[in-house]
Amino acid sequence: MPSITKSTNTVGAPEGFREAALFTVGSIVAGFAIELLTGGSGISIPGWPANFLFLAAFATVIAVTGLGMRNHPAVAWLGGIPVGLSLIIGLALLSLIGGVLPQDPAPAGSIVARLRLNGVFSGWPFAFVALLFLFNLGLSLIWKAIPFRPANLQFILFHGGFWLALSCGLLGSSDLQRLVIPLYEGKESDVAYEMPSERPIRLPYAIYLKDFQIDEYVPQFALYDPSADRVIEEKSRMVPEVRKGALAVWTGIASATVVDFMPDALPGKDGNPVLAEGRKGVPFARIRVEVAGQPPVEHWINGGGPEINPQFFPVGNYFIVIASGPPKAFRSHVMLRGNDGQRRIETLEVNKPVDFMGWKLYQMGYDEKAGKWSTMSLVEAVNDPWLPAVYLGFFMIMGGNLLYFWKGVKKMEAV
Amino acid sequence: MTLVDFPAIAISAAACWGLGSLLQIPARKLKPASIASWLLMFGGTGLLIWFLASYWIALERPPLRTLGETRLWYATLIPIVGFLVEYRWSIRWLKYYCMGLAALFLGINLMHPDVFQKALMPALQSVWFIPHVVVYLVAYVLLAASSVAGWHNLWLRFRSKSTPVSESMSHYLALLGFVLLTFGLVFGALWAKEAWGHYWTWDPKETWAFISWLAYLGYLHLVARKTNVTTLQWYLGLAFLVLLVCWFGVNYLPSAQNSVHTYSG
Repeated sequence: MPSITKSTNTVGAPEGFREAALFTVGSIVAGFAIELLTGGSGISIPGWPANFLFLAAFATVIAVTGLGMRNHPAVAWLGGIPVGLSLIIGLALLSLIGGVLPQDPAPAGSIVARLRLNGVFSGWPFAFVALLFLFNLGLSLIWKAIPFRPANLQFILFHGGFWLALSCGLLGSSDLQRLVIPLYEGKESDVAYEMPSERPIRLPYAIYLKDFQIDEYVPQFALYDPSADRVIEEKSRMVPEVRKGALAVWTGIASATVVDFMPDALPGKDGNPVLAEGRKGVPFARIRVEVAGQPPVEHWINGGGPEINPQFFPVGNYFIVIASGPPKAFRSHVMLRGNDGQRRIETLEVNKPVDFMGWKLYQMGYDEKAGKWSTMSLVEAVNDPWLPAVYLGFFMIMGGNLLYFWKGVKKMEAV
Repeated sequence: MTLVDFPAIAISAAACWGLGSLLQIPARKLKPASIASWLLMFGGTGLLIWFLASYWIALERPPLRTLGETRLWYATLIPIVGFLVEYRWSIRWLKYYCMGLAALFLGINLMHPDVFQKALMPALQSVWFIPHVVVYLVAYVLLAASSVAGWHNLWLRFRSKSTPVSESMSHYLALLGFVLLTFGLVFGALWAKEAWGHYWTWDPKETWAFISWLAYLGYLHLVARKTNVTTLQWYLGLAFLVLLVCWFGVNYLPSAQNSVHTYSG
């Protein structure tokens, strides 16, 4: 990010931009040519320690070139704004392809697959442009950093942070492990699966699933039109919640009031629901339905579950139906047991991952067909050894950003 | 207050802005007209702030989940940018564009009404939810204002009436917008790590957020290259289109079928 320079109208197109644009286009074309020649196989980044050695060598080349050949016209050009700007546009254009086309497997032999337009971010054109951009960014950074001047701190933090986050994020991607661990209540597992290959991998620890729980929002009821497979909009445009006394009005059709509500119940012998223990029950609601010109009627309805058939209430060509609320939170109570003997009892919940033996464990999912009756929990185990370097980059960017804001406000005050 | 009240609130807010703008004509000569005009314009925005606050209470969650809800915030915030610009730089015209844009977004919400839905999926229940979305929204508001200012500056140039102050204003709006865009992007990455296991997955929304960020990064480098002002105003005017794709358009792209951001649709 440059320091703010008041723009003038004395210069036309940015100087040196044409050569820089050709340079960028050349690198993109070269990348696509490699993809065509290799059948769109993309680039596979080597893992540790080769990626680290490459990054160290690359940083050394930048430092030596930047400091030793600072006044060479070609080097000055390589580290200049026109090249940087054209590479930014190059990155944006390649990202545009990735932002428009699905980044999923494509039919082999199709032009999309041969040019790897379905995997742009692991393709040669993106790799070339990113590498050249890192070179350009690195040169500008080293020139601002040596000799150090406090006035350049904002530039160094922002550009240095971006360099670190981008280089470590891209090169470290080969060391990133994201594994899925299916867990079943009352069982322990130390086997995870690499996706999408489903290759099993033995972990250095085991996870015992003691209990899996789901909290749901309040159940909702609605007037369903089976002929159009849609829900009739309620007068207030709310999805009515099942609470004692709740009223729903479907203009010109009917109105319904919840007379009684049992969140967890099972059908009793006389047809009326009885409270259920544990999590076997389903929500039951007794509703009073009023249709113009007819006496009000009351009926129990329920949304059904693994052992219970659902009960709806017919209103003309429609049905009043009840459905469980969407999941509010889901969590796994687990015991973690490492190969080294350490044991920990933890709760895994969305947005609350747990660190264990260098891995981050995430509550990922469950058996959605079974819903709140699921006894299976999906946990994701993530190991990203490059994360500290990327986060350092992020925090440097934010530091530089704060200084940029401060400098911007100061300059703005002067206008 | 729920969405049943929204049409009345939206029409009242737009009427307040419209009447307030009309009263600006006699306001230069008549002090009471000026006071009434500002009261109406502030009143329009005040109505929306009141609606947002009571809607938040009724929803029992921040109204920041759906596109309709983000448009509501946008319509509330963007006139404030116009008022602040007039206060800071004595530039009177920006507020009309801002109120016009706000009315347009309220109109879109009236034509595509949301359904009142309290549920907030577990991934969104995070301390990052409000800072990430609010920072982005304020960034979008500032960058929209810079875009409008860019178009107006081009019009002023065409009529040879441009002023350095109004051109600086579009620049500083873009600069502040970029700062917030950067925070929004990094906050999003930090949140993604906690919620989804990785800070960056090239999800279509992330990719478009990156493209928009690069677009404004490019603008700042053009400024550093002392590019001529007309080009910069064109750039600012057009750059906002990229943000619009990121905000709304991405949901309609082929790439969005598997996006983790589809809840915001």
